[in-house]
Amino acid sequence: MQTRYDIIIVGSGPAGISAAVNSVIRNKKVKVFGSKNLSDKLTKAPRIDNYLGFYQAKGPDLAKRFTDHIDEMDIEIDEENVEAVYALGTHFAVATNKDTYESTAVIVAPGVSQKKKIPGEDEFLGKGVGYCATCDAPIYKNRSIAIVGYEPSAEHEVNFMADVASEVTYIPRYKELGEIDERVRVIKGRPKKFAGEEKVRSLQLDNQEIEAEGFFVLREAVALDQLVPGIQIADHHYEVNRNLETNIKGLFAAGDVTGEPYQYMKAAGEGQVAALNAVRYIDNNFQQKKSS
Amino acid sequence: MQEVMDMNFEEEVLKNDTPVLVDFWAPWCGPCKMVAPVMEQLHEEYDGKLKVVKVNVDENPEISQALQITSIPAIVLFSEGQPKDAVVGFRPKEAFDQMLAKHL
Repeated sequence: MQTRYDIIIVGSGPAGISAAVNSVIRNKKVKVFGSKNLSDKLTKAPRIDNYLGFYQAKGPDLAKRFTDHIDEMDIEIDEENVEAVYALGTHFAVATNKDTYESTAVIVAPGVSQKKKIPGEDEFLGKGVGYCATCDAPIYKNRSIAIVGYEPSAEHEVNFMADVASEVTYIPRYKELGEIDERVRVIKGRPKKFAGEEKVRSLQLDNQEIEAEGFFVLREAVALDQLVPGIQIADHHYEVNRNLETNIKGLFAAGDVTGEPYQYMKAAGEGQVAALNAVRYIDNNFQQKKSS
Repeated sequence: MQEVMDMNFEEEVLKNDTPVLVDFWAPWCGPCKMVAPVMEQLHEEYDGKLKVVKVNVDENPEISQALQITSIPAIVLFSEGQPKDAVVGFRPKEAFDQMLAKHL
């Protein structure tokens, strides 16, 4: 049988690791998804003056202290990419690029991404615009599609679709192109917006217009509403209350993703609040669970 | 949960007396697998008031194209032969409860 974790934590910045530390102190079985480098925003900070007890710390030095801290507590960070967190009513299923994991509660602390959506992307989502080409492959058998890819990892789906669709146009948004199936038409350009009426008809680039029956936008940094389908979003952040509860029972958010100020200490503090409330949620609702 | 196909869609969905929630899915779609247990819960909870069925889009291209299903999972609520509401992609159960509350 699959392991049921008490708490799965998505993100390894100050919010995520603080949540992990506090959950482990309260004897919860946790799994942390993120990066062994913790957070780019942290490791690339030249100097931090307002982290209590670490005046004029360099980002990498503070990160090293964080890493030592979780190493001492035997907390490991798993580098699989989390694609989505599914609220199944009684528990959660967290799907990564490799597997699916189950937990009773989830804390999302993915930070904020600078990447913006393409105008029209939300409007035409499900109306010819999608995020998973391989999922929707049967629908586009012998039809034309176009894919916008932001990382080389998108190429796998592009080549897969070359076997299925009648025509595949690929718009890579990165430099070093890998091996692309020769049936794929590769176009360089910057996406401006999706156009259409009831359904999407075309994608306007800065230098031309691409028409297709279906479009896919593939990025590694999953948009907030894709990461947790059904979550309440307000002003580009997850909506939370003082207990850092979201609109989904058992799902908590912490750090930059809950809104400004984008500060390391605020993130670490929220990680703690989220963890303590997740622990309480589990203890109140699932008391028969052993806490060994 | 009942599987509906191109050939019996009209009879089982469009001409059904109660509203019908149709889950358009395919076997290799991850989010579709996640929706399945939620559909089962709705199937049990709304027994008598709502019929819940699924359509494999891979095996039933006609109905999927006619309804312009472009992304799966797509969950469409039919009432009196018409699509009344739809959800594309996974949603927690509460979201379906809210949608059904508007129409049932």
